Amino acid sequence: MEQSISHRILFPTATAVANGSSTPPPATADPCGEAINTESIRKVVAENAVVVFARKGCCMCHVIKLLLHGHGVKPKIFDVDEQNEAAVTNELFKLIGEVGSGKASDPQLPAAFVGGKLIGGLDKVIGAHISGELVPKLKEARALWL
Amino acid sequence: MEDGLCITAVGFLPFVFLFLIEFKLTHSRNKMNSTSTHFVPSRRMDIYEPIHQMTMWGDFKENNCEDLSPPMILEIEGKLDNQSEETSHGTVGPSSNDQEASRRPDKVQRRLAQNREAARKSRLRKKAYVQQLESSKLKLIQLEQELGRARQQGLCAGGGLDTSQLGYSETINPGITAFEMEYGHWVEEQNIQISDLRNALQSNVGDMELSILIERVLKHYADLFAMKATAARIDVFYLMSGMWKTSAERFFLWIGGFRPSELLKVLLPHLEPMSEQQHFEVCNLRQNCQQAEDAFSQGMEKLRYIVAEAVGAGRLGEGNYLPQITAAIEKLEALVRFVGQADHLRQETLQQISRILEPPQAARGLLALGEYLQRLRALSSLWSSRPCEPT
Repeated sequence: MEQSISHRILFPTATAVANGSSTPPPATADPCGEAINTESIRKVVAENAVVVFARKGCCMCHVIKLLLHGHGVKPKIFDVDEQNEAAVTNELFKLIGEVGSGKASDPQLPAAFVGGKLIGGLDKVIGAHISGELVPKLKEARALWL
Repeated sequence: MEDGLCITAVGFLPFVFLFLIEFKLTHSRNKMNSTSTHFVPSRRMDIYEPIHQMTMWGDFKENNCEDLSPPMILEIEGKLDNQSEETSHGTVGPSSNDQEASRRPDKVQRRLAQNREAARKSRLRKKAYVQQLESSKLKLIQLEQELGRARQQGLCAGGGLDTSQLGYSETINPGITAFEMEYGHWVEEQNIQISDLRNALQSNVGDMELSILIERVLKHYADLFAMKATAARIDVFYLMSGMWKTSAERFFLWIGGFRPSELLKVLLPHLEPMSEQQHFEVCNLRQNCQQAEDAFSQGMEKLRYIVAEAVGAGRLGEGNYLPQITAAIEKLEALVRFVGQADHLRQETLQQISRILEPPQAARGLLALGEYLQRLRALSSLWSSRPCEPT
């Protein structure tokens, strides 16, 4: 299907795209008229080495941002407000559902993506940071060059 | 108001004054037991009512009421000076002096004024007494609560708990009380595990046994973080205050617990001997902790700013602020997540230590950590038992 093809092009490094969506997901437009659809979300995730989806003014997002800055990385922040939150989390849920098998739960905001792959919320980022896994991932995503 | 009115009238037209009093009496007749032989002090008209009665009735020559003689008035004044407004319904003897009273209005007015003054003083004394009673009652409730908590903590916690920390008055939440009890048990179990580690290291047991002990300690910390998460949902301010810990531990408090990088600094010498690789990794870990802590601290600053903004929104000074504080409380939901994330950082750090190091090293590290915290608690204990300096 058209959606799956574009998905593969966008995610060359994506692991096990086992199911792939058989039916094209409908484009959800929020009341403002901005189309939050699969395309726009995936575009953001694919085009930026590091993306953080977060509610505006969220302090957790601030912490993630500062952590990444500490590594010399400037993440793209996708502002989620009340109007588009439902649509965004819906799209993220679909995105996550395709890539991983066990991540069936609703994505919590803030959510960080590195190299097109979901890292998770603040706790996952912290875990990766402490265990030393974050830096290799950042390098892999070409967010870091050192 | 009525006093002022009376006093102005007194100097000029005593009889007009009497008519005015009668007017007032007419309106407050429901308060008066006009046919009773007692004088019933109503709240507003007070003791001087019967005296008004006397003069009025003396004027109109009504004889079906008992009147007060001037000596009786003096006696009542004396009583007022010594007790509260609940005056006795004393016997009122018949008087033959009502004729005199109407003939000497000045003396009567003076007596009336004195009575009013006495009544006013009595009201003020009563008010002060009642206020004192109420504040004593509040203090009593607080003391009872403190006592209850001190008893529970004294039963459950090991040494190192100073009850002087219980000097604040907040309504006690049963969930929080349960947490404090659980924490007391946790500390006791911690002490047991520390001495087990000590014994194991001293008796040179094998790596397998050490690993088991290490797992036990790590799981015990995980239990603590789970307990804290529950308590945070009940009252995050309480958790952040660190009132459940000892005073010295509070001195080092950071987002509701210990600061991982600080502890690593304390532990580092006790982990030796380490390989170069291990040394590098541990230093790296400490640096990562520091970075994460800084990010958290800044996040907390931002949260404080957001909450302050919410509390101070709108016009300050109008006295109506429920919407603002409601909004601020919503913002404070984030604090619960912060504490959870800080605990997660602590847990990850402990896990990472056990990954980097071999069992004997990790065991030494966890033993050192445990005893360090024990020392802090002992410090608090000693601190609170210091003799007070005489002023």
